[in-house]
Amino acid sequence: MKLIYADNNATTPIAPEVAAVMQPFLTDQFFNPSSAYDQARRVSDALKEARKDMAALLGGINPGLITFTSCATESNNWAITGVARANPQRRHIITTAVEHPAVLEVCKDLVRQGYEVTFLPVDRSGQLDLKEYVRALRADTLLVTIMHANNETGVIFPIAELARLAHETDPAIVFHTDATQSLGKIPFDLKTEFGHVDLLSCSGHKLHAPKGVGALYIKRGVPIRPLLIGGHQENGRRAGTENVPHIVAFGRACRLAAEHMTGEDHIRALRDRLETALEEKIPYLEINGRGAPRLPNTLNLACHYIEGESILYELNAQGICASSGSACTSGSLEASHVLKAMNIPFTAMHGSVRFSLSRYNTPDEIERLIEIFPEIVARLRRISPYWDITKNAPRPTAPKG
Amino acid sequence: MAWEYSEKTRRIFTAAVHGEPGTHMGEIDNPDGFGEHGSIVCGDALRFTFRVLQHPTDPVQDVITDARYLTFGCTSAIAASEALCSLIVQGRYTPIGALKITNQDIVKFLDGLPSQKIHCSVMGAEALEAAVFNWAQKRGVDLEKIGVHLKDKGEDEGRIVCKCFTLTEPYIRRKIKELNLRTIADITGAIKAGGACGSCHHAPGGLQDLLDETWGKNGSQPTPEPVSAAASATTEVSPFQLYRKIEKTIAENIRPALQADGGDIEIVDVKDTKVYCRLSGACAGCPGANATLKLMVERTLKEAVDEKLKVIAL
Repeated sequence: MKLIYADNNATTPIAPEVAAVMQPFLTDQFFNPSSAYDQARRVSDALKEARKDMAALLGGINPGLITFTSCATESNNWAITGVARANPQRRHIITTAVEHPAVLEVCKDLVRQGYEVTFLPVDRSGQLDLKEYVRALRADTLLVTIMHANNETGVIFPIAELARLAHETDPAIVFHTDATQSLGKIPFDLKTEFGHVDLLSCSGHKLHAPKGVGALYIKRGVPIRPLLIGGHQENGRRAGTENVPHIVAFGRACRLAAEHMTGEDHIRALRDRLETALEEKIPYLEINGRGAPRLPNTLNLACHYIEGESILYELNAQGICASSGSACTSGSLEASHVLKAMNIPFTAMHGSVRFSLSRYNTPDEIERLIEIFPEIVARLRRISPYWDITKNAPRPTAPKG
Repeated sequence: MAWEYSEKTRRIFTAAVHGEPGTHMGEIDNPDGFGEHGSIVCGDALRFTFRVLQHPTDPVQDVITDARYLTFGCTSAIAASEALCSLIVQGRYTPIGALKITNQDIVKFLDGLPSQKIHCSVMGAEALEAAVFNWAQKRGVDLEKIGVHLKDKGEDEGRIVCKCFTLTEPYIRRKIKELNLRTIADITGAIKAGGACGSCHHAPGGLQDLLDETWGKNGSQPTPEPVSAAASATTEVSPFQLYRKIEKTIAENIRPALQADGGDIEIVDVKDTKVYCRLSGACAGCPGANATLKLMVERTLKEAVDEKLKVIAL
């Protein structure tokens, strides 16, 4: 049975070109890029090239504004706590209710330290209300940290406008965005459209580089304290010998993403085909984030009256990898904070499934998904106490969402 | 989270979902016993029915010949439901005999369950009790009289401790004793109480208090209190007079001009000297909208109200 990998918002397969380009740095090109001899120069040149490739993907910015980190979680932790420590007078932060935990939990931790944090709500389609955002901006606002695209639903926030509004209100407010899910999936330009963005986090393994490498873009002049000190690396912004093989891999992955971005419509076509077909075949199906701008690769569904973990299990039994925001898959007993913030009907809350595609998915795979997924939903509904099989509809006694 | 289910749990789940012969998914028409437990809000629910072979003279000696379930829930909830029915039918139990099946028997049948999934096995035992109670009513069996003490729903009514999963004090107290739950984590793992918002953990009369009252102060490990993030959006209120002046100017000098072109303007907020506006109607889609705001609105406001005013377009 051939595997269908449709969980690319969790992690992506490493591109063969990426694996090849990092290979020498795992073997004979082991030198410390900070060393003085010729051999080390070749390694530090490779780092430079990687930085240039990423700078190009971000809109042709100065490569020196990019700092490589160990992952997007580090970048997010650094961005938030580093800005807070650089400007201790300001004590107010604005974020959203649907951020990744690597932002949300850091903000909650600052609440414990006496900061005030505004968690902006979202509407039924996962979008922010710009009016609420504007009203939340204050004279003591230190930082706005809002993700570019949501990992669960793919809903895209209007970062360019949010950043502009923050700076027009007060140029001293630092605007950070977590672009982990959008980098390489949709184009954006930090020089023009995103010119008001001060800090941007991203990660390698979401765009076909290996796990263990991330980056933080820091616009010139933005006050931020380092997280790791004790070395001159990365212009003193992040101490620690560079993770050369992974940085080289990340750079190449950025170059490939830039090349493929024009072809990303192929991914959108596959996603749209999947969405339309599943909606036709499955009654009582919610498309989460419908009506909002969304990443082209993400489809978040919620099936009324069944539970997401059983769906994943059945999918996996047929060689399909996807994920769910159901409580049972989360390791806690709570359903996804994102779907809850969106007020998804409670009869569908536990039946969510996320398919996230990449350039390696094929039309044949999508057709197989379209064949298999409705069967799984029908099977689980047959077993659901809320479902009437004869009518293929909820029982009259079932709670209404 | 990766699955940590036993091979047997996985096998039983797959067989059940595919309705393989010998499995018990379904519902018995006009059952002799019927019970439900859980709710869709909590993430799992079970509807349990059984059929008995009636004893000609003594209902207590009825034997369960078939048991069926419909389950809304995860892999382990479905597997636990199947396990319960298999145990009952294989054991040729009387309804009262079936009450001896505990959630531990179900866990054993499944070769174990991850600790966070124990509540799935408890749900089966609860539904079974409800069904036996229903059978007793139908067959005119006085359970109390023959010494079977059923904890029917009525007894568990009382003050709600865990509001997220609607669990009452008597129910939680009973489960703490029955299942030997020693910590808040134990309680959450077994019956979900305290698993969502966490506000009942250390509240007066909350889970920790119930544990302390059952086992004594040192009988259970205190768990650290989770700090909940306070979401607060205290918006700065601008001086009332300034706002009134801005509003008046927009109403008299700006809005009519915009409305003449089929558009409108809304003041979203005024902070300090900054006026946040949003154009609507025909103006909203106009490429010149931003320029319109900046030039016309800002100039008008500067002249009529305050030179320091700045307009920000949403």
